[in-house]
Amino acid sequence: MLGVGPMSVNCVDAAIDLSNEHEVPILLIASRRQIDSEEIGGGYVNNWTTEEFARYVIDRDKKGKILLARDHGGPWQNPNEKDENISLRRAMESSKASFRADLEAGFQILHIDPSVDIHCQPHVDEVLDRIFELYEFCWSQAQQLRQDVIFEIGTEEQSGSTNSQEELDYTLNAVQKFCNKCNLPLPSFMVIQCGTRVMETRNVGSFDSPVRVADELPTEIQLPKMIEICNRYGIFMKEHNTDYLSDEALQWHPRLGIHAANVAPEFGVTESRALVEVLETNGLAELSDSFLQLAYDSNKWDKWMLPNSQATDRDRAIIAGHYVFSTAECIALKEEAGRALASKGIELEQHLRQHVKQSILRYLRNFRLVRSQ
Amino acid sequence: MKRVATIILNRNLPEVTNRLYEHLVQHDDDVTDGFVVEAGSDFERLSRYTTWYANWPDALAHGLRYSRGMNYGLSQLWKEGRFGQYDAFFLLTNDTELQSSPTLAPLMGILEQHPRVGILSPCAARWGERFLLKENSTKYFWFIHNNAYLLRRDFVESIFNEDQPDFMNFVFDGSNFRGYGFESELIAKAYANDWAAAITSEVWAGENESHLLNQADLIKTEGYEENLMLYVEEGRRWMRNKYGFNSRWSMQQHVKNFYDSFFDFHPEFKSYRI
Repeated sequence: MLGVGPMSVNCVDAAIDLSNEHEVPILLIASRRQIDSEEIGGGYVNNWTTEEFARYVIDRDKKGKILLARDHGGPWQNPNEKDENISLRRAMESSKASFRADLEAGFQILHIDPSVDIHCQPHVDEVLDRIFELYEFCWSQAQQLRQDVIFEIGTEEQSGSTNSQEELDYTLNAVQKFCNKCNLPLPSFMVIQCGTRVMETRNVGSFDSPVRVADELPTEIQLPKMIEICNRYGIFMKEHNTDYLSDEALQWHPRLGIHAANVAPEFGVTESRALVEVLETNGLAELSDSFLQLAYDSNKWDKWMLPNSQATDRDRAIIAGHYVFSTAECIALKEEAGRALASKGIELEQHLRQHVKQSILRYLRNFRLVRSQ
Repeated sequence: MKRVATIILNRNLPEVTNRLYEHLVQHDDDVTDGFVVEAGSDFERLSRYTTWYANWPDALAHGLRYSRGMNYGLSQLWKEGRFGQYDAFFLLTNDTELQSSPTLAPLMGILEQHPRVGILSPCAARWGERFLLKENSTKYFWFIHNNAYLLRRDFVESIFNEDQPDFMNFVFDGSNFRGYGFESELIAKAYANDWAAAITSEVWAGENESHLLNQADLIKTEGYEENLMLYVEEGRRWMRNKYGFNSRWSMQQHVKNFYDSFFDFHPEFKSYRI
């Protein structure tokens, strides 16, 4: 299965279109930075609250092919919780409120990830305790709402390293015991670090690398071992940070036994590139420059930069583009561009959506979820 | 009689090669004879320990790289009638860096403890494999990406090309010039012939890539990025033409199948399985 990050309205529309056109399920995996409950302040994608986002998707997903999924739900996963420096108890309460809003809005898959702690580095057993608390909470809420819920667990985002077999076995064993004891269903997905890491506009992990990556187990070794462990527990393996992998690497995903993979920033970058390109090739360089300046000034590119990066300011702006799509300045800029392009027969949003669709299609084709042309 | 022949591959970095040779003399002299293959080095940049000089025009222009270079060294030992006097061959590129203590005595000890290990590789300080070698310092792998292998003679004898024991064919396939995927082919041949490939953390060895990064012009080779691109391009073509594999993952599955079946026939080694 493919998990698509809802990077923008166009990205959401593209995913809905493709899932309905090809009758293939697609997960829309919303992080708490992107979309969160009204109570917590929403997210940066179209300023949507959880409820608004879910309503938007459910209304347009005519064939019911989209699965609404929470990506990295857990304490301090919303930037406001970090900025306000809230305590563990408050952060857990806040993440529960966020999960509750997810379930009420109709989310079907919840990724529980309490690996972030702004006050200390929690021991693996503490992280497990937090998983169990949130797991039980979400299950009971779903029961109250009389709806099904699928769980995904897994910690360590973008570490780029490979979690050890012992760690995975320990975690799955503890989760299995907990679920059996509390009479809860086992999680369906486990996030496995298998050598994928996104920096700038590349995947710099070991998955696609012909040379060794320091301190990482070669994927050739890591992957079969992790899948073997997941299979032993009857849990599907989910890969995060799949962006920018080569077609060859993606084509091997189903054969290697990777059951699901998440892709997010690549689609945002695709849309930003398409926006800049269509503006520049249609005599709207000034608008393009304004967009690039706005994106650059947001500084949202910072966390994606490699050490000693050679990226230009333009590269940085492209990386940060999707973070500013829903700002008032960008909306005004796109409206002006839309009017100018319409006079040339180009419908801007449709044009951008088409580019994002092609980008998503690359994954669907390589995963053999849709037929190759 | 020394038990190991160590072959060091040099191209235009005599100081680096001399240092490695002298390191072996200092720490492993009782176990090994050292041999230096000059892979088309300039005459004035030969190591003072040069044993064999590949100085034909193509070697001078392009070097030999690992597969042809090691084949050349091994085939020279064969021609000179010295091949059979060694129990194992330690194949090193000159950028290998060894710990400041004996390397080969412990490695040979491991070969004795593991009678079916045909390929043995020291672990490196920054390899992720070290995490798998905590309780048991030696384990059997289906993938070892390295440039420092100890090959048991019995294993080499079970797979080498008797009809063309030369620099192109002795044990490695010299047509895969830069060697992408060569280790997988070697390991597949091992498991297919009832031999295992192991990594040990009892001995450490690393590769100092700074020579290639900073002295590519001196070595007379391509820069790092270009070399990497050619390494992958040529290796993929080789894999496709020879095996019909269009991906390294096909090669991996091929090797892994042999690896898995090795333990079906040798359950006594299951504790060394990763």
